[in-house]
Amino acid sequence: MSTQTLQQPAPPKFGAPVLEASGVVMRFGGLTAVNNVNLTVREGEIMGLIGPNGAGKTTFFNCLTGMYKPTEGEVKFQGAVLPPKPRAVVKAGMARTFQNIRLFGNMTALENVMVGRYCRTNALAFTSIIRGPKYHREEAESRRIAQELLDFVGLGHTSEHLARNLPYGDQRRLEIARALATDPKLILLDEPTAGMNPKETEQAKDLIFRIRDKGLAVVVIEHDMRFIFSLCDRVHCLVRGETLIEGSPHEVQSDHRVIEAYIGQPDEDEEELVAEAHAHDHETPPTAPTAPASPASDLTKEDRA
Amino acid sequence: MTTSPAVPRTKTSVNNPRPSPQWWLALAGAVLLIASAFLSWCYVPALLGDLSIDAFPGGLQILMIIVAVLAIFFLVLRSGRMPSMDTLLDSAKALKALSATAVAFMVLVAIVIALQAPGLANANPGLFVGIVGAALMLAGSWQMASDPLVDPITVRLPGWVEILVIVVMMAIILFGAAYALGQEDGTVFCLFLVFLGGVVAALARGGLFSWISVIAARHRQVLMMGALAVAFLFPFTQNGSDANMSIATQVLIFATTALGLNIVVGLAGLLDLGYIAFLGAGAYVSAMMSHSAFAHIGWKPPFIVVVIIGAIVSSILGLIIGSPTLRVSGDYLAIVTLAFGEIFRLTVNNLDGNNGPRLTNGPNGIPGIPDLEFGAFNFGDTHTVLGIPLGRFANYYFLMLIVAGFIILVFTRLNNSRIGRGWVAIREDEKAAEAMGVNTFGLKLFAFAGGAFLAGMAGTIKAHQDVSVTPDQYIFLESAFLLAAIVLGGMGSVAGVLVGATVLKLLPEKLRFVADYRLLIFGLLLVVMMRFRPEGLVPSRRRALEFHADDQELADRVEEVHLEIAADPDTAEAKA
Amino acid sequence: MDLFFQQLLNGLTLGSLYALIAVGYTVVYGIVQIINFAHGEVFMIGAFGALATWTVLFQGQTSLWVLPVMIIGAVAASVVVAVLMERVAYRPLRHAPRLAPLITAIGISVFLQEAIRLFYPGAKSAMPFPRIDIVTGAALQLGPLTVRRSAIFTIGSLIVCAALLWYFINRTKLGRGMLAVSQDKDTARLMGINVDRIIAVAFALGAALAGVAGVAQGLQNNNIDFFMGFLAGLKAFTAAVLGGIGNIMGAVLGGLVLGVVEAMAVQFIPGTFGGSPWKDVWAFALLIIVLVFRPQGLLGARVVDRA
Repeated sequence: MSTQTLQQPAPPKFGAPVLEASGVVMRFGGLTAVNNVNLTVREGEIMGLIGPNGAGKTTFFNCLTGMYKPTEGEVKFQGAVLPPKPRAVVKAGMARTFQNIRLFGNMTALENVMVGRYCRTNALAFTSIIRGPKYHREEAESRRIAQELLDFVGLGHTSEHLARNLPYGDQRRLEIARALATDPKLILLDEPTAGMNPKETEQAKDLIFRIRDKGLAVVVIEHDMRFIFSLCDRVHCLVRGETLIEGSPHEVQSDHRVIEAYIGQPDEDEEELVAEAHAHDHETPPTAPTAPASPASDLTKEDRA
Repeated sequence: MTTSPAVPRTKTSVNNPRPSPQWWLALAGAVLLIASAFLSWCYVPALLGDLSIDAFPGGLQILMIIVAVLAIFFLVLRSGRMPSMDTLLDSAKALKALSATAVAFMVLVAIVIALQAPGLANANPGLFVGIVGAALMLAGSWQMASDPLVDPITVRLPGWVEILVIVVMMAIILFGAAYALGQEDGTVFCLFLVFLGGVVAALARGGLFSWISVIAARHRQVLMMGALAVAFLFPFTQNGSDANMSIATQVLIFATTALGLNIVVGLAGLLDLGYIAFLGAGAYVSAMMSHSAFAHIGWKPPFIVVVIIGAIVSSILGLIIGSPTLRVSGDYLAIVTLAFGEIFRLTVNNLDGNNGPRLTNGPNGIPGIPDLEFGAFNFGDTHTVLGIPLGRFANYYFLMLIVAGFIILVFTRLNNSRIGRGWVAIREDEKAAEAMGVNTFGLKLFAFAGGAFLAGMAGTIKAHQDVSVTPDQYIFLESAFLLAAIVLGGMGSVAGVLVGATVLKLLPEKLRFVADYRLLIFGLLLVVMMRFRPEGLVPSRRRALEFHADDQELADRVEEVHLEIAADPDTAEAKA
Repeated sequence: MDLFFQQLLNGLTLGSLYALIAVGYTVVYGIVQIINFAHGEVFMIGAFGALATWTVLFQGQTSLWVLPVMIIGAVAASVVVAVLMERVAYRPLRHAPRLAPLITAIGISVFLQEAIRLFYPGAKSAMPFPRIDIVTGAALQLGPLTVRRSAIFTIGSLIVCAALLWYFINRTKLGRGMLAVSQDKDTARLMGINVDRIIAVAFALGAALAGVAGVAQGLQNNNIDFFMGFLAGLKAFTAAVLGGIGNIMGAVLGGLVLGVVEAMAVQFIPGTFGGSPWKDVWAFALLIIVLVFRPQGLLGARVVDRA
């Protein structure tokens, strides 16, 4: 596993667009949480979605996955407009994880992943009661796939553990396995490394690369800039619900507006502020480098690299 | 697991230098108790099922012999003769509970004699011998120290021993039930309950039940067959007596309906407060299509068709009532179902010809529903099987048993399937379930319609068993009563509901003096259970976890069972 | 047309009663998000409280000054019961799964009904409610309309109570605390508001109005019984949902609308499905229709389906 972490993002040779969101607007009463955002994700691409707290990243996610119906605009998945129903979206091939983990705590890890298989299996009441050979085949198949996915995310040994008893990092990985169980073409990860230590973060990065290598498109929301810039093929930056910039990690991280958005409008001299952040970083390394509260230091670190 | 590494042989010899004086004291008490059972306790033969004969133990005296024999068993266990059992059972705790039961029982008998004989002057020496014996047992066991136990999961006895334990348990349940139902005298029945409660508590404290539950999990099939056999054999113990069979049939109908409701409440997690209306719908369909003189539907199809129609009508109502689940969540839905139950009651009250079409005869209902007839087999007749007469109620009992078996099959298979996992996911986090592609609306609707279907089915039989169908059989309180059975027994658990339904239906029948207070007690019971044991008496593991979100110990325990089942070759095979 | 106004008046009378009870559902729901299903029983207890006050203190009296004391007795009884029920049954369940408080509520409801039936002398059947001068007696004739005196009392009580309620919520410290807690319990706690106390106040407030409603019902119907809270509670809940649960003035509006709809249904639905035997059916059908098509209610204060 550790050898793979050195792997660089795949060369930008991507397939057809999987997801095309155009002109998405989401208003809650008078508040416009997402304003006219366009996003295209192609096959085999890892797209990063960044932005300061309250930029509307998760709201945008919810628009994409049918949790909200966008006020305006449309979301096309593989060329077809999706109905705003989470279930239909999953069935079409788009799966997600949650920012604050939403596992089924009192089910085992294996059962959690098997719930993900729900939309790809069809045993109905009658079949479940009669239990013919077809039913047993389908159950065995679900079980096998779920176990494989657990192995894939590195949780194979915990299949019979209750989800709520797993350590935090494992819970995040279990959520990913559960999402993968729905056979998605595109997976949306909402802060997959929040609360993880550096080692776990590296493992998560490795896992996302391996998911991409399976041929899936990936969209990641993250605050950890080092993580995002070393992971993604393209990065999309949202600020106050609007697109600030979209481009390669290099383009985005060298854009001064991004830095501005994270550390605020400079009062006098922007350089000074950045320099200050630098200095701060040198003297006392922040205790939690990945914590969303101190994204500025991550940015500046990346600058130096 | 938290238990220290077990060192079975050495620790007994360290902890109990035996035979200690305490041990001898308790043994002497137990022997005295047995001896007392062979003496007369009382001069008055009419009292407490005749305790006045020497050398011939009456019913209540046999109970004390059982307690004493159990105590001797645990004492022998304590002396270290059976090391494998000794590490499994906590004999000290069991002995304490047994002795306390014996003392309480003897004192209660004395009080009853004092009050009803009247006067303790009517007591015979046997009574006092018994009291002394019980007291000695208590004195002896009071200071006994508990031994560390091993986890029952790790103990494996030969398969036939484990199966034998289940069979013996089932036999005990059968005879216990037959004995309890046979008690006409309320006081005797109460004393029997004291005995039963005490022995159950003693065995539970002694760790027997956790062991048995492990065995039961290993041999589910045997357990099911055993339970079914017990239920099937029960009417043969009644010698054609209709009085008890009528109660047993009512309990069974009630339990069957509660099982159907448990699919909705326990599995899908939806509170349905109008469930009795589905039973009523089935019953009314059946009544209206019967040959009763008051049935106003001309078409009289064979009963099996009626059952299907009743079930379908019920499930259509279930679909209609379940449809708000698309828009509203839990507690609103509960009120919708409550309103629906009221609509049902008011409607059948009104359809008397004056206010709408003449279908139900309004408040008078439909009386005179004839007994069922399958070919030459009339359910109203008494049939003799193997020389044992089986009356009208026994016939319906067997029919209901088939229905109950069917519902249990549906319940367990659904629970342990793709649909069941979907239900658990909905209970845990509906939004996340939806986002993972679970058809939440469809599953909830299915729970409603499916539960209604089963209730409708039971209702069609109930109509014939009851002879008449009236609106006041299908009121909200009956729904609350069903809910109480589930809450008491355990949501999502078959055994729990059977226990809950039996307790709630049997006690008021047997204890006439509480009959008037039964609703008061149910109300209180719901409140107390929700406060102290929301998962019920015989909970399903997952439900227990859901109600105790912050109980880490319980979570670890449940996880261990999961791991054990996965590691066990027998059950793993069954799963695959 | 006269018939229409007569039914409108009858509907408003009935609706005032529903509104008084509905406020209790909505206040409690707004603050702790539980449906206090036992609230109908609080209303019933109020009626029995008034009766007990009269029986003990003024047996045989009919003069008007007795009425305020009876109202105080009713309010005291229902407030004590409601606060006790909150303290003993609901408070320990505040973090339990949502099914638990609802089942508890059903338990309390059955328990209170049975407690009255068994332990209130003579309550196994309906009990006559005292006649009071001026508020009961021969109906008044206002042109073509027949106005029962008790109807005036009922509608008057609603007006007074609604005004007091409005003042309490918007103009007193405790009322504003209630608003704060209903918005966000945790923040309110951080701001130094005693949330437990506010919740108890919410129960008490609803109970006080239910107590008044109990007296009104007694005067209106001439007798009371232990089961009266069940149907009235269910109707009042319908009213609260109709108005948008959590919205206090919505409950008042919902009550009035429900009362009028019921009265009109009795009069104007033709054929055998009209008439009073069916009015409850229409009321509950309305509840189901509202919940299905407009779960946020008429005034729509709160989104019903919380995530």
